[in-house]
Amino acid sequence: MEVTLRRFELLDVDAMMTWASDPEVAAFCRWEPYASTESVLAYLRDTVLPHPWFRAICLAGDGRPVGAVSLEPTADACRGELGYVLARAHWGQGVATAAVRRALAAVFGEVEGLSRVEALVDVDNAASHRVVEKAGFRREGVLRRHYWHKGRARDLVMYSFVSGDPLPQ
Amino acid sequence: MERPAPETEVTLREFTEADAEALFAWASDPRVVLFQRREAYARVDEARRYILDHVLPHPWYRAICVGGGGGAVVGSISVKPDPAEERGGRRSSRASLGYRVAHGYWGRGIATRAVQAAAEAAFAEWPWLVRLEAVADVENPASQRVLEKAGFVREGVLRSYVVLKGTPRDMVVFSFVDTDRERNKPVEAHKD
Repeated sequence: MEVTLRRFELLDVDAMMTWASDPEVAAFCRWEPYASTESVLAYLRDTVLPHPWFRAICLAGDGRPVGAVSLEPTADACRGELGYVLARAHWGQGVATAAVRRALAAVFGEVEGLSRVEALVDVDNAASHRVVEKAGFRREGVLRRHYWHKGRARDLVMYSFVSGDPLPQ
Repeated sequence: MERPAPETEVTLREFTEADAEALFAWASDPRVVLFQRREAYARVDEARRYILDHVLPHPWYRAICVGGGGGAVVGSISVKPDPAEERGGRRSSRASLGYRVAHGYWGRGIATRAVQAAAEAAFAEWPWLVRLEAVADVENPASQRVLEKAGFVREGVLRSYVVLKGTPRDMVVFSFVDTDRERNKPVEAHKD
């Protein structure tokens, strides 16, 4: 599965609305589904465009985004947290794995001082475990009750990919 | 539970500027700052500035005292709430704990008791707190033992987690969570 990553533009609002408004997509995410294009536009303008590293996932030969991948800064410049989201129509085809691999190949060169990319995956999010494992992340342990999500404390699995780890082919 | 000997009884209190010399004693010691980001202090004035600029405004930073209230200050312990969650600005349910003890007071269980007291205080003061986290360098087994003896659970090794003096370090992550408290509550001894 060939994907490309590019920066978002405000014109991508309708494409983004496809996954941002989908409750099934939002289920394991930290946000509630967006109710209006205006709110997605505000998110694009205020969060995505100024973000240090936020990319649209496009299928090869198609300029329309089908998802997003981002690296969130943390308390230390040496580590960033990877996040990704994909429209439901493109689940189960290796798109997320390909996008995460592309992101890992890019971020160490593009983000100053980065030595560690981490991914925190809900213990019950089997699909996401497969994505990060196939992308070459290494599982480090379970962070107990790490995240308060929709009224419950959740255990998250911590994965990392550090500068110098081999990118799987 | 056996009470500790009076000279190793540990109390926590707030810092004042007058504690600068005591803080300087460990903050200038390369053995203590080995696993910290900061270089060792060379002048007491640096310790005084640190108290004014970092300790006093901090959400929770305490002096570790031995020998009862008013005793010698031999270290410090701090608990920092994690920043609010991204979208929605909802406050986090986590905090991070760190501590340092003057070298002459190592090996007496002081850090362990300080960590226990700080964990208890954090959960008592912050009803939103679910998870207290601490990390120790993989090459600092003494600190790892402190956290284990204090009741923290070892969860794994985080690779290249922090950069210390220019070098990425692997850190062991430990946690003490709200449900650990409930499990560890001692059964009250019968009182006459």
